[in-house]
Amino acid sequence: MYYQLINFGNEEFHAYPNKSLYWKRLNTLIVSDLHIGKSISYAKNKQFLPPYDTKDLLNKIFVSLDKIKPRNLIIVGDLLHDVFSTLSLKDQDYKNLSQYMKNTDFIWIKGNHDKNIQIEGFKNFTNYKIEKFLFTHIPIETPLFQICGHYHPKVKIVHRGKTIFKTSFVHNEKIFILPSFGILTGGLDIHSKEISDVLGKKNLNIYPVGQDKVYKL
Amino acid sequence: MNINKSNPLLLHPLNKWMNKKKWSWFPHQIETFLHVRTGSDVVVFAPTGAGKTLTGFINPIDDLIKLKKFKGLHTLYISPLKSLANDIVRNLEKPIKELDLKISFQVRTGDTTPYKKQKQKQKPPNILITTPESLALLNSYENAKEFFFNLKYIIIDEIHTFLDNKRADLLSLNIERLQTFSPNLQRIGLSATLKNKQDAKKWLCRKKPKIVSYENSVLPKIKILESKERIPWSGHMATYSINEIYKEIMKSKLTIIFVNTRAQAEYMFKNLWLINKKKLKIAVHHGSLEKNLRLKVENNLSKGLVDCVVATSSLELGLDYGDVEKIIQVGAPKGINRLLQRVGRSNHNLNTPSKAILVPTNRFEFIEAKAAIEEIKNNNLDKIDLKEGSFDVVAQHIFATACAGQFNINNLYSEIIKAYPYKKLKLNDFKQLINLIQDGGYVLKNYDQFKRIFQLRENKNIYKLVNKRETRKYRMNVGTIIENPMLKIKLGTKTLGNIEEVFIQNLSQGDSFIFAGQVLEFQSMKNNLVQVKRSKSLISKIPSYSGGRMPLSTNLANSVRTLLAKSSMWDLYPDQITEWLKRQKNISKIPKKDEYLVEQFLRKKNFYTVIYTFAGWHANQTLGFLLLRGFKEFDYKPLGFVANDYAIVLWSLKEVKEIKKILNIGLLDKHLDNYLEETSMVKRLFRDNAIISCLIERRLPGMEKTGKQVLFSSDLIYTVLKKNEPDHILLKSSYEDAKKNMIDYDRLREILKKIDKKIILKKLTSISPLAVPIILEINRENLSKKETDEYILEDLENEILKEANVLSIN
Repeated sequence: MYYQLINFGNEEFHAYPNKSLYWKRLNTLIVSDLHIGKSISYAKNKQFLPPYDTKDLLNKIFVSLDKIKPRNLIIVGDLLHDVFSTLSLKDQDYKNLSQYMKNTDFIWIKGNHDKNIQIEGFKNFTNYKIEKFLFTHIPIETPLFQICGHYHPKVKIVHRGKTIFKTSFVHNEKIFILPSFGILTGGLDIHSKEISDVLGKKNLNIYPVGQDKVYKL
Repeated sequence: MNINKSNPLLLHPLNKWMNKKKWSWFPHQIETFLHVRTGSDVVVFAPTGAGKTLTGFINPIDDLIKLKKFKGLHTLYISPLKSLANDIVRNLEKPIKELDLKISFQVRTGDTTPYKKQKQKQKPPNILITTPESLALLNSYENAKEFFFNLKYIIIDEIHTFLDNKRADLLSLNIERLQTFSPNLQRIGLSATLKNKQDAKKWLCRKKPKIVSYENSVLPKIKILESKERIPWSGHMATYSINEIYKEIMKSKLTIIFVNTRAQAEYMFKNLWLINKKKLKIAVHHGSLEKNLRLKVENNLSKGLVDCVVATSSLELGLDYGDVEKIIQVGAPKGINRLLQRVGRSNHNLNTPSKAILVPTNRFEFIEAKAAIEEIKNNNLDKIDLKEGSFDVVAQHIFATACAGQFNINNLYSEIIKAYPYKKLKLNDFKQLINLIQDGGYVLKNYDQFKRIFQLRENKNIYKLVNKRETRKYRMNVGTIIENPMLKIKLGTKTLGNIEEVFIQNLSQGDSFIFAGQVLEFQSMKNNLVQVKRSKSLISKIPSYSGGRMPLSTNLANSVRTLLAKSSMWDLYPDQITEWLKRQKNISKIPKKDEYLVEQFLRKKNFYTVIYTFAGWHANQTLGFLLLRGFKEFDYKPLGFVANDYAIVLWSLKEVKEIKKILNIGLLDKHLDNYLEETSMVKRLFRDNAIISCLIERRLPGMEKTGKQVLFSSDLIYTVLKKNEPDHILLKSSYEDAKKNMIDYDRLREILKKIDKKIILKKLTSISPLAVPIILEINRENLSKKETDEYILEDLENEILKEANVLSIN
């Protein structure tokens, strides 16, 4: 799989087109904002999205784990969309998950969507520190380098008279924001107020995600 | 007109009024009256000015007077446009008030206040004038049956506009519903002259079907503006002729200038005001303007308080603004029927010819205007093709039915297949649509606890809405017209109208643009509101609206092709047109009637391939998509294409060396199957389908979704569905729509079958005169393909690397 090399906090990370981030030195895979069960949570409002997102998401994760075999999997928040989400997890899904947990340490950082939800066998944290890096859903005041999610960043590109939006990895000197790993999840412009408040407007490193490749702007 | 002594209309309540006005009855009015009186459903074909509206009301008024103080709703009048509905009220008011007839009548459209609507439901008028969408809404109320049970007549005005689109499907289903409520209901259709009258009859009539037809022998006087100025090679704004257009306005009492797009309307309006030294009263009218602005213009027009109105198709239909003296059509006529319809807006008097001036905005349009005038002389009208009904409209109708109360699916199915567009609807497809409304209709049954409608335990054929809240969601989503995502424009606290989100996205704070005839400065965008202030800027953009694009009719396209190749005619054209064609002949070639010219050249780092098919926009659009795939297969790295009615232009990063190997019948065979599944066109159609079938909402009660979100989530749904459930009914529905939209597919196939022997390939060093118009359309290119995105990203990345003096090793 093609990846884009990203230097952040004097460490090398690999950004994959499936929207995951890999920290090779520590054999750690990082994903964010899966929003498992978004479809079923919408269905309660009679918005009938195709009910395949949970299955597809788990597959996507399992494929990554099979390929990379990481020691750690860090989910930087919003693994689940809401309390209804667990309705879409079947017995077999739990079995598969515990199978993978044998070789990989799952570190589930709680996000705003799933802070009150528990899944048996899942360790969860509000944030998680490794060396000089803090993994958290929404960035906080800290001297540490932070790797987080929450914002589902996408970038607006105007080129040759055409405007396109692309999901992106984005970071400044101190804060790294992952794109959403989800399937039915939308995005937020990296120049929106919400993201600017966190990253500022200047000196952003932006990595739009293409079909089979992560680009660098 | 001769009045037959035995004319039964001499005893009609309106006869006194006719006498007072010194008007006499038309033969087709008498004929219609007799047919309807003896229980026939009738379609009346008559030109503008032949008392069409009155024809529809003759029987209802007669009946209402005879019935004396009839209580409740007696006649429903369906109009395709809100503005037309208002106009009908104005016209009906005159005789009814002057004769003091005890008949009540009201209008009900999306513009009617909730208070008025509520009153209408409690105390319905005898005659209700409304639109297909408002009818659908009325049918979704619990008391719909009581409201309509005594309905005697339904009149469909401008029925020719209702034959070939999803609105027609919606209307047909709702007419059948009315027929169920009131089995004696009679149908009257009013139509402009049509080539295929039998089709309109089949669509509408059930009881003793009859056609009544009246042809006008007075031909309209149409000419092309004789301009001393230079007709530009390209463009759509007619700036060159603005002074001459102004002179034409001065010559006539009241002029309507018809343009083809809202952007053109704004531009024309602005430019006329810039030269308006005589302080003429000039107004603008188009569908994006706020209701009050539109109504004001319509009122001023009917009272003759303006000198000129610049309008889009929003003023095209049936309106009876008697004093309009002249029509100016700026831009391509596009079709014979359409041009006749527009020209008919002037001189609502049968014995004097309508007067119209055509202003071509570029040289291609000159040829098209010439051709259109020829075809009108030959009375060669365009055919309107009936279409099979779309699935998504049935889904919406099922939802509406559920809102009105519990229903039996067998009864509903047999009612639906009575509607002409749904004669062939399969029971199995219908059941899938029931499931779609119930819970999305997915194979994976995940939503058992969240259904929208459910089967009764005691009778599995009866379905019921889960809760009342859902009715509100239906009502927010009713209708089949899906506009592009639009944002409201606010000047202070005043709303000016709606603008496409895409346009705003390309603006930065401080940019100015023209809307509602004013130069405005973009300040900010919050939620769905675009805040603007007045600007004095001279440089301003004009919003473009991609919706409602009319393709050049096949009929007229053929005529254009023939005319272009007739070099013996060239010398009769203005010098500049002659020169343009001669120059094309020198630099490249003028294709003969059965030849296909292909030009290739390098421009601004991209390689361009222009193909002149004259196949009409639909076929060219399809061909463009297929060629993109073909180019990709040969690794030419295509970036995009633009099609217009005459030609297609594709541009690519690499030179297209083997065009003849791609442009042949193999292109269809190789790529058509995948084409439907992979184009953004199907994605767009899926979005429409998902909204129309109420799978996703365009607006949620209390929370207005921005258009972008709808677009986004429908794309995601499409992708997930295609991967997991390729046989889902909504995907099927989208593919069907795609095929229907490609109405020129057969013709494209015919062209591709023989094209390889008739390609004339010209490698040029620069753009040819014929290619200029289409090259300039590239800015409006609307293609959004994943692969194209990739090339743009790649290209941008390379450019940046080069700027940074870093070599790209990839």
